Parts: sequence; C-alpha cells; structure tokens
Amino acid sequence: MSSICLARLAEERKLWRKDHPYGFWARPTKNPDNSLNLMVWEVGIPGKQGTLWESGVFKLRMLFPEDYPQKPPKCQFTPPLFHPNVYPSGTVCLSIVNEDQDWKPAITVKQILLGIQELLDNPNPNSPAQSDAYVLFKRDRAAYDERIRRQTAAHRAAE
Amino acid sequence: MSDEKKDSLQHINIKVVAPDQSEVFFKIKRTTPLSKLMNAYCERQGKQRSSVRFMFDGARVEDHATPEQLEMEDGDAIDVMVEQVGGFWAVN
Repeated sequence: MSSICLARLAEERKLWRKDHPYGFWARPTKNPDNSLNLMVWEVGIPGKQGTLWESGVFKLRMLFPEDYPQKPPKCQFTPPLFHPNVYPSGTVCLSIVNEDQDWKPAITVKQILLGIQELLDNPNPNSPAQSDAYVLFKRDRAAYDERIRRQTAAHRAAE
Repeated sequence: MSDEKKDSLQHINIKVVAPDQSEVFFKIKRTTPLSKLMNAYCERQGKQRSSVRFMFDGARVEDHATPEQLEMEDGDAIDVMVEQVGGFWAVN
C-alpha cells in the first residue's frame, strides 16, 4: 500500500477532526483487530436547510483506491439513494469525483462531501445514472418531490 | 515532567459547534464524563438539556462517556443539535 496514500488520508482525517461542516461526519472504519482502516470511511451528509432534503442524514461509504490522491475515492450511498445522479449501486456520479473529469488530487474530503450535499437538491438531468429517479424527475416533478420528501423522512437523524 | 506537560496529557480542549456555526471551547479531563461539559454548555447557552443532543463522529454523546472512551483528541469538535420532536424542530 502506498505511503503517499496513507499519509494523505491520515492528514485528511486530522483536518476533518479539527474542522468539519456542521452536521456532517466522516470517520475511517475499523479493522477486526480494532485498528483504523483509512481506506474505507463512513460518512453522514445532512440535507441542506430549506430543501426537500432538510432534516435527513444520508449515509455514504468512501472507498479510497491505492493510488489515491492520484485517483478519486468512490462514494457510495448505503443504502442506494433515489436520485437522478446516483447509480442503482449507490455510487455517486459527480464530476469532481470522476478521474476523467474534474478530479484533482488537491480536492479534500470536505470539498467532496459539500459537493455531494449540493448535488442532492441540484440533480444534473444531463447525466442520469439511474432511470427511476431520472424519468420521474423529467416527467412528473410533483411526484418526484413527493418521493424525495418520503425518502428524507425515512432518513431522519437516527436516535 | 513540567506541570504544563502533565496538564496537556490529562486535559483536552473540545469545541462545541452550534447550527449557527458559533463555537464554545471547553477544557476537560480525559476521564471526566462528558455530561459535565454538556450541562455546562446548556447552562451557558440558556438551553434545556433535554432540548438538544450532542453528536460526535455521527453518534450521540452519552452522559457517562468520557473523552478517553470516545478516543477524542485535543481540538476535536462536537456538534450540538436541536432535538427533534414529532417531525418538527422543537423551538427553545
């Protein structure tokens, strides 16, 4: 495993602990022996205030490849989300985490997660990743909004 | 060992961040239950303890938990959130 990758991930975690956007969390998972697994993080993204996503918290896994930060992490909602730009597997389709588009090694975990939060209420219909949400978004906006509202209610911050 | 060094081993600084991004800093012993910090925060902010919850790394901070148990480090941040009742955000 590359030391560049692990050093960067340790630094990202350190920065995050000192300063993270309100209501978010992002922590490395643990190995069976209780040591940290910096290659896989568990993340919570709160829906933005004033949107249909408000008061929901959406869980995601970040899977960092061994050649991170040369390559971006894979960001996967668990469970998968009803959203035009989320693949049926839960993987987020977003230019800043696509190595063929806007990914740059300087992009931080914080920037990625803020970008995904922004994407929730601002889907890009020109790059659909799942048909269900895309079709409903295009054909019947009221029904789409209602579906999002129900999804948010099911993702209320767990007690 | 100097007193200052000993102090930094026993105590850590924790900041509590509110929805309006305001921050309140606390210095607490690693082995002190966090209920002390949470109660002090509520008192200072004039909030009822039952009207808010404190979250660290995505999990609610229990009264009896200590910084040591939660593996907190100096400078870590706790988010304080308004408790939700009946699907609405409760008004304090």
